[in-house]
Amino acid sequence: MSTLHVLSHSPFSDSRLNSCLRLLGEHDAILLCGDATYSLTPASAPLQALEDRLGGLKLFALKEDMQARNIQAPAWASQVDYAGFVDLTIRFDKVNSWL
Amino acid sequence: MAKSLLIISRQSPWSGPSAREALDIVLAGGAFDLPIGLLFLDDGVFQLSPEQKSAAVQQKDLTANLQALTMFGVEELYACEQSLKERAIATTNLDGEGLQRQSSGEIAALIDRYDQVITI
Repeated sequence: MSTLHVLSHSPFSDSRLNSCLRLLGEHDAILLCGDATYSLTPASAPLQALEDRLGGLKLFALKEDMQARNIQAPAWASQVDYAGFVDLTIRFDKVNSWL
Repeated sequence: MAKSLLIISRQSPWSGPSAREALDIVLAGGAFDLPIGLLFLDDGVFQLSPEQKSAAVQQKDLTANLQALTMFGVEELYACEQSLKERAIATTNLDGEGLQRQSSGEIAALIDRYDQVITI
């Protein structure tokens, strides 16, 4: 089964991103929204942690939340809008929101 | 057949209501005979550290709720091995209740196996 892991907290104040990366299954993906989009801050430790996993990592980021924070997505990240967010929740067997 | 549910509890018992609320969900699920599992992750493993004195901060102890889990039929109890190790917790107050320590890979498989997952 595939799981979409939804992160919404800043990776600079919290361990959710690191734990999620550690527990990520083969068919799983991560969706960054809210302050979790700060994970894509250039030259930051969270971005490095994501780039270290580039081979098998499926990563999505919510476009609106990135625009609000003036964050540019790296080419390897997929940007989705709210409709795309809904599509993802349907495409994956389940959603794990890291509240 | 009811859908199976995995609750991932990752807050310390002293950081607010999250730890207690996660336990309440699990106990309620157990009371209705739902196939339910509980995983302690990150600071959530602090809930398992023995001999905490909650009265010192005028709070109620979670230990009694933890001990009630098996009584409510919740027998799938897991803790993240790495989270325990990072926090130097060697023995837990659920060791007698069949708590299973899981590696990162085993936790990925756990998340995969359950129908639904809630992380609190």
